[in-house]
Amino acid sequence: MDDEAPGVEAWKEQTSAFDRVRSVAGSVSGPQPVSYIATEALVAENTARAHLERLVDMNVLLERDVEGTAMYEPDPLHTRVQTLRDLLDEYDQDGLLELKAELQEQMETWGRDYGVGSPEALRRRAAESDDAAETREIRETANDWALLRYRLDIIEQAIENYAAYSRDSPAPA
Amino acid sequence: MNGDGSSYDAAEASHRALRSIQRELERHPTISTVRGFPSGAYTQVVAEVAIDRLETDATEGTLTVRWFAGETPEKKPTFSFHYSDDNGDFGWHHEPNPHVDGWGHVQARPDSTATYDYEPYAFSSDSPARVVWEMMSQLVSTLQSR
Repeated sequence: MDDEAPGVEAWKEQTSAFDRVRSVAGSVSGPQPVSYIATEALVAENTARAHLERLVDMNVLLERDVEGTAMYEPDPLHTRVQTLRDLLDEYDQDGLLELKAELQEQMETWGRDYGVGSPEALRRRAAESDDAAETREIRETANDWALLRYRLDIIEQAIENYAAYSRDSPAPA
Repeated sequence: MNGDGSSYDAAEASHRALRSIQRELERHPTISTVRGFPSGAYTQVVAEVAIDRLETDATEGTLTVRWFAGETPEKKPTFSFHYSDDNGDFGWHHEPNPHVDGWGHVQARPDSTATYDYEPYAFSSDSPARVVWEMMSQLVSTLQSR
């Protein structure tokens, strides 16, 4: 990481080392060693290691040993629970059902428009297009579709477990 | 499962990235509000720029962020930070585009009827949190130099 890169000083001024380690480690796409996270988060490796261990204790991250090196990645369960909580804070049960229907309708529309049944099939369609603008548009839709499908799965979990998860549900008599 | 034993879901990774981007934008002093968009679907993050804290003649400005982690952990993410106001729109994109070599580029147009100009751009990182601060630094300098 280039310390002279734009925004570096502002990021350091506005956040703590813990914030930066949490942000970087919480958004990696695959397991990463301490050295990578320390570099990206602009902290010393020892500092990064201490914060990473704390985040593992908090169940925010998973630690795994890959050929003798400690690697860190987000705990998918933590992300899922955060999203569940956000949804339950924002929507009641009827709202969740309505949201589920909206996302289903959107995905059905894409399916009809492109004649495919999944984002993966749509991505293959993008690969076959000869037009650059069309390729970009189809890929963007495939990405949005994948995101909606992931979100729909969590919405269904929220609906199924609404009584147990909701803060507003009445206590049992 | 990947070779290293971890599971990978591109949508889950993308969702995490968007959450991280929202959190970082909330911390930035020149952003007034941030939300997942569309409401409930959360495929993008949209932020209102606090124009009154900058030296610019725009009346309001919106930053729209898209991010999709690679389809596999080894693939590069595609993302864009695109700003618009009543004086036009411009943005930094990381995705293939026939107008420029490489993935990183800036595209800009003076109004919605004009065609875009493209310039190559090298991102210093592909970590979502870091990219937010880099993009905000570039955005603020671009707005103040217009």
